[in-house]
Amino acid sequence: MGVRTDQKAATREKVLEAARDLFNEVGYEETTIRAIAERAGVSVGSVFTTFASKAEVLSHVMSHRLTALYAELDRVTPFLRGSTADKLCSIFAIHYEFECRRVKLFLAHIAASYNPANDPGVTPYGRNPRLNQMLLDVLEEGVRKGDVRSDLDLPLVVDTLKAAYAWNYRMTAAAGGDLEAAQMSAAMDRQISIIAEGWKPR
Amino acid sequence: MSFVSVNMESGAETPVKLTRRALAKQRTRERVLAAARRLFTERGYEGATIRDIAQAAGMSTGAVFASFADKSELFEEILTADYEVIYAQMTQASRTAKTIDEALLGLFAVAYGFHVEQLPLLRASIAVSWTRSEAAERRARNDLKHIFRLIAEALQRGVDQGQLKKDVDAKLLAEISWDVYVANYRRAVYDGWSVDALLARLSDQLKVIFAGARA
Repeated sequence: MGVRTDQKAATREKVLEAARDLFNEVGYEETTIRAIAERAGVSVGSVFTTFASKAEVLSHVMSHRLTALYAELDRVTPFLRGSTADKLCSIFAIHYEFECRRVKLFLAHIAASYNPANDPGVTPYGRNPRLNQMLLDVLEEGVRKGDVRSDLDLPLVVDTLKAAYAWNYRMTAAAGGDLEAAQMSAAMDRQISIIAEGWKPR
Repeated sequence: MSFVSVNMESGAETPVKLTRRALAKQRTRERVLAAARRLFTERGYEGATIRDIAQAAGMSTGAVFASFADKSELFEEILTADYEVIYAQMTQASRTAKTIDEALLGLFAVAYGFHVEQLPLLRASIAVSWTRSEAAERRARNDLKHIFRLIAEALQRGVDQGQLKKDVDAKLLAEISWDVYVANYRRAVYDGWSVDALLARLSDQLKVIFAGARA
């Protein structure tokens, strides 16, 4: 890599880190591109040569984080034991644990996905295929093992689980971001068990 | 009711004769609300400032602040007005239904029908709901409480009529039903789903949620 590309990558890294912290500490709407540049120690212009908009910065901050989350999950999932419901509970618990480390950032990400001005450089919350696939894999394994009814519409179940998962973050939003991840996992566990009640083979 | 809905004709005649001063004040509020509704729809919550709203209403920023404490109060008043409009219809749809599925689909159909028509405003309201202040959160919960009471009633009727098991966790079932109902708006936002498509999906989701609860 040339010096120029090196420099560009370093700027990018610094900007993403500064933005991540500011969005979480100060809030997404409250943070300006200028504040991000200042915290990152780069010029405002160089932020704009790397990202088209603040929404794009947020999008990249989040996908950057997801890489770390899924590395963690890839390591852990092969070792998950217990029923299909147990495994799903663990996967969601890991998600809650992870997002609660910077929960205001995550809430901003969900909020931004409803904002009218979404540009094409942005991958909004909820459009990440990894979680979908992971949940489908677990359910399919459950079907193979006879733990889950075989006539179930699995993508529909995934859809329902994801809705419950996302909306449990309302609990922490309502508490101003001050809530233990365990409280959301506990709610999710109950929701999973109620849905699991319906997928038992009969 | 402490306000007048701006996009609906107020059916009943005004019960109390207002003084000219009070009448003028009410007109100002209505003008501000109408302008605010338009701007929130066009620009989202963050994109519309009080200054823009005042300008669109043809008055000074100070005049807006004489009627509303801040932007969030203004926004909430619009949402509450809408909510009061659909709540009566949701109640009716739910109470005239014969089964639990009909009741839930009926009441959510009212909401989908209303909100999909004004999707930009709904998007703004959901976006705000994730990051609003604790006071605003408490006020919003108050509106939601009524809807959850409707759902709880429908579930109780389902139990009484032997459609659902006696020991169902009604609160939890209501919560998950609400979660999928709201989450489905993303399909309208991103994939352009119609009200019918949303309802068809919701119907399937409710089957998944209630499968273990049926008597």
